[in-house]
Amino acid sequence: MIRVATDIGGTFTDLVAVTADGKVSTAKSHTTPGQFEQGVMDVIESNQIKPSEFAFFVHGTTIVINAITEKKGAKTALITSEGFRDVLEIGRGNRPDYFNLEYKKPIPFVTRYLRREVSGRINYKGAEVKTLDLSNLDAILDDFRAEKVEAIAICLLNSYANSAHEAALLNQVNLMWPEVAVVASYQITREWREYERTNTVVMSAYVQPITHRYLDDLTERLNKEGMTCAPYIMQSNCGIDTVKNARQIPITMVESGPASGVWGAAVLGNLINESEVIALDIGGTTAKCGLITGGQVKLNTDYLIGRTDVFAGYPVIVPVVDLVEIGQGGGSIAWVDEFQRMHVGPQSAGAQPGPTSYGFGGTEATTTDANLALGCINPHYFCGGTLEADMKAVENTLEVLSSKLAISKQEVARGIVRLANNNMVNAIKLISVNRGHDPRDFTLIAFGGGGGMHACALAKELGIKKVVIPNLSGVFSAWGMLLSDLRRDYLQTQIVELSTPETAQRLSDTFAALEETAYQEYEAEDIPRSRVHFLRYGRLRYQNQEHSTEINLPGGAIANSQMDDILEYFHANYEREYTYRLDAPVELVTYHLIAIAKVDKLKPEKLPRSKKKVKDAVKGQRKVDYLDAGIHQSTLYNGALLAPGMSLVGPAIIEEAETTVVIPPTMLCQVDEYRNYQIVTAPQGGTHE
Amino acid sequence: MSNSYDPITLEIIQNSLQAAADEMFAALRRTAMSAIIYEVLDMGTGITDRHGELAGSGAGIPAFVGVLDKTVKHTLKKFSQPGEIEPGDIFITNDPYHGGVTHLNDMVLTMPVFVEGEIVAWTANIAHWNDVGGMVPGSMSTNATEIFQEGMIYPGVKLISKGKPIQSVFEILTANCRMPDFLTGDLWAGVASVRVGERRILEIVNKYGRDVFLYALEDYMNYGEQVSLNALKQLPKGIFSLEEEQDSGQIYKVTVEITDDEFIVDLRDNPDQDPGPFNMSADDTTVGCQMVFKNVTSPGRIANGGTFRPLKVLLRHGSVFHPKHPAASGIYYEIGIRLHDLIMRCLAEHMPDRIPAGGFASICGTLFGGIHPDTGRNYAVIEPELGGWGGSPTGDGMPGQFSAFHGETYNCPAEVAEARYGVTVDYLSFHDDDGGAGLYRGGKGVRIDYRIRSDNAWLTAAYTRSKVLPWSLKGGQDGSPNYILIRRANGAKERYSVISGLTLMTDDVIQVNTATGAGWGDPKQRDLDLVREDLKNGYISIEQANRYYGLDERSS
Repeated sequence: MIRVATDIGGTFTDLVAVTADGKVSTAKSHTTPGQFEQGVMDVIESNQIKPSEFAFFVHGTTIVINAITEKKGAKTALITSEGFRDVLEIGRGNRPDYFNLEYKKPIPFVTRYLRREVSGRINYKGAEVKTLDLSNLDAILDDFRAEKVEAIAICLLNSYANSAHEAALLNQVNLMWPEVAVVASYQITREWREYERTNTVVMSAYVQPITHRYLDDLTERLNKEGMTCAPYIMQSNCGIDTVKNARQIPITMVESGPASGVWGAAVLGNLINESEVIALDIGGTTAKCGLITGGQVKLNTDYLIGRTDVFAGYPVIVPVVDLVEIGQGGGSIAWVDEFQRMHVGPQSAGAQPGPTSYGFGGTEATTTDANLALGCINPHYFCGGTLEADMKAVENTLEVLSSKLAISKQEVARGIVRLANNNMVNAIKLISVNRGHDPRDFTLIAFGGGGGMHACALAKELGIKKVVIPNLSGVFSAWGMLLSDLRRDYLQTQIVELSTPETAQRLSDTFAALEETAYQEYEAEDIPRSRVHFLRYGRLRYQNQEHSTEINLPGGAIANSQMDDILEYFHANYEREYTYRLDAPVELVTYHLIAIAKVDKLKPEKLPRSKKKVKDAVKGQRKVDYLDAGIHQSTLYNGALLAPGMSLVGPAIIEEAETTVVIPPTMLCQVDEYRNYQIVTAPQGGTHE
Repeated sequence: MSNSYDPITLEIIQNSLQAAADEMFAALRRTAMSAIIYEVLDMGTGITDRHGELAGSGAGIPAFVGVLDKTVKHTLKKFSQPGEIEPGDIFITNDPYHGGVTHLNDMVLTMPVFVEGEIVAWTANIAHWNDVGGMVPGSMSTNATEIFQEGMIYPGVKLISKGKPIQSVFEILTANCRMPDFLTGDLWAGVASVRVGERRILEIVNKYGRDVFLYALEDYMNYGEQVSLNALKQLPKGIFSLEEEQDSGQIYKVTVEITDDEFIVDLRDNPDQDPGPFNMSADDTTVGCQMVFKNVTSPGRIANGGTFRPLKVLLRHGSVFHPKHPAASGIYYEIGIRLHDLIMRCLAEHMPDRIPAGGFASICGTLFGGIHPDTGRNYAVIEPELGGWGGSPTGDGMPGQFSAFHGETYNCPAEVAEARYGVTVDYLSFHDDDGGAGLYRGGKGVRIDYRIRSDNAWLTAAYTRSKVLPWSLKGGQDGSPNYILIRRANGAKERYSVISGLTLMTDDVIQVNTATGAGWGDPKQRDLDLVREDLKNGYISIEQANRYYGLDERSS
């Protein structure tokens, strides 16, 4: 029996399969837009395994984010509270591109005539102040039918405090129009802020029909091929979930690919005793980084789809791994502006035509082309030896930039990589320094096709002491999925002053109720209570402030005597994050319950040390330009022959089928017992700082 | 200095300056104690070269870009003797007459960055403090007649000497504030932020060397200038003038002269300074002109000392745009947005194909407060409002956005307002006030209804564009007005645009109506399909469709 993870990316669909005796195999095939399940079947076939052998199958897909960014979701309508139909269009009124008077704000996913209102009102304390009036619902649904609406989102004001009106409305819609896809905000989150919650439920409804079709088709095809296990779907909260639940709230899949990569880095960090980790995933078009502190992945519920320096983006307030993403990858294009200044990205050559060196008709120099010109990538072992790099074409494109900038081709190539590195350094600073962490306290775990190429240079610039290029770094996100448990997050905004005598009881009761909900939802899918455990968190703040800080809260019944400890824990955490504490009342704003159901997941095992010598892995010598560290004759290693216990010193290049690891002079690389490359960036005791 | 430096290194240094300014911004935001700083982002950070020319800014709002360089220049002028500025020093000012630029609530800190005994750069930040003393809590009063009533003045003094806090200055600061704890917290947040900037600059200098660093800054300024000059070449040349009546009945005037390499704004012929707080300092008037210059030339993120070299601003001392000491300036921002809108309108009439029609163009500063009916605690709301922007040559105006002076400013969600203030938000959507028809429509204005739930609440507000409407272009329709409608519990209605301390009782409603932006182009030229869609969407009524867009006559 085999455990299998498949991960659909922008260009490739990746697969990792692990047999019962621990044998690992990987495969990649082209992503098949429009019919993503085909790519999944292709990659399974190319790995020569059969669905009938699957003991465990987990799947990550970009279908949700693609449908949103390409605007290919369903025709969606919204039912909201009287007086609030335009909240979705108004948003929050912010304008990141602040000198631009022609700025265009996000266009809502529901056009105004499909935004309808019902009367009735719950107040912020959850009390009904006006009864729900559904007398116009019939007419609303008739209009929606006439407009060929395919999905309906429901969001009523203050439903975070009491969902009764939303539930009644949802029920009525289901009765009157059972065929239509419909979702209410309380099914997704109980956090406040009406714009964010409305947009979240609208986005989820928007992708619901297309996701249903996709998941049903995929499951059907796998079952037809003999799969007997129930598939799991990767979520943005670093957990996996059942198909049934993923169907109900597809928006939780929105950033599942990056989440599994960051999660993989956290699990790997745990294996090799690194609890403070910066995870960096460098792909073809983007680089993404995430932060792991105390072994925990940081999640937020303030994710914005499409957010850039010049666009406000669309909020989705489900738990999403905290990420900084920039348009820098192997395919990023170098270009020169009207002032003779060179830039790299964010435009990418993509998969078609790809970098010039692919020889598929690309005419603009990319970061990959520059890395070839510098000797970092082997032109004769390009893309794992499947291609011979077109170095003539690379020379030609560098020549164009060289004449525009009046510098040598070598300097152009160096410039491209230096600018790309500079952009990535700034992204890592955003996720670390700008959130109050010093990158020097972290280990950099870099993966994706370009991770090994840039990681050491970035680490040196940031003063990071250790770099880890994981085993299977080319399919690392898929590997991460094999190590996830079922996870559901329950968020409930409810302001509770923490200094009153009833507080402890109230916290206990609310958590107990949330836990009961979680138990029941799992039980409905035949997951017994014995497999479920909980993590409790609370978002606390000083009265009337907006900043809150999420802290761990005790399980079980909370006693009054524990309240002082909870408060002190909050003060200390707040002070660490914001540098001061206040002598002010503290309140809880949002309950956050994480319900984890253990699954029989992969347990990574150590590999034996090899009797072979590292020199057996040497495949040659090459001149490599290490930018600031100079040009050096370097030893090339065949990564497939490197085994636990071996070590080597830069200048060196490790070539693998899916990635290249660049090790600058003096850096020490050791192959650990999981076959990860652990690189010490300043082995002589700190050449930087 | 040599110009043979590697261009990539120069660019990396320049990018790193921007990253450092952003990091200073994050540090200030994370550690500030006042919501108006970390939530409303009424703050900015910047780095200047050794002469005080802007080199990079991390700002949440455009109106704070171009403030900090002026502060540094004042500091350099005031402390011009050898030894007066030393490594580790930090200076503080809030005085609009001495480098404070805006109003007394905005505190600016500046710090020199020394390398081998010489200044190579400055770091600086500005943030709105809750209270700096003065005649009313919060320090800003519409009734102030001289700056002494608006708070304690810090005219560019040393706060920290060679890294050591000057205790007497700290004591004067805290003694003159109604909320000394917040002041202390916000002050140290500012100190931490300029020090972060200093550290980053030193890292850059250590890595690349002092000479290449200084050259990179000079090169960056020249680049900024070149971007502006290239853009200036695209603009129509000539002398353009405009007179515009204000809601107050006063006439504001501007003349803009655009040549191949200069952009001259002449504001000399304007009313004498206001006896109240409706004035803006000469420095801040320059900032307002810089914003327009940036808007119409190159609206990208790069804004440095070079960018503004082609700009000249001519002012008359004693006028509303360059008041004489000790004129008050607490409400400078509403004058600022009027100035911005005035210059845009002046240019728009001569280059309507590149500039949007007028929008709601007011901060719509709204302050109300009272007793929270459920907690019994005092609450106070201080907020700008969202309104409609004008139609533009590239499409319909944006609905429900903050003004051109704002950037990353977020409105308060109704659900948060209801819990925090104990008011009921009955309505938060577009209104149907008439206005804004055009080939490209004005964006819809917003109506917000706050129902007060306890007796003896109060309201203070200062809106403009309430009588003189948002201006249309090329045959479009003017926008609708900004105003507040008070709907009393007994059914009586009162309309206001400027009001101080109005008393409200339970179930009275503050209905804020912000303007729908003006239309651009003849509405009868608007695509009929779009008109029908607007009608279906309820952006326009059937009467408006027929009357302005000629739907019936054009359909037949």
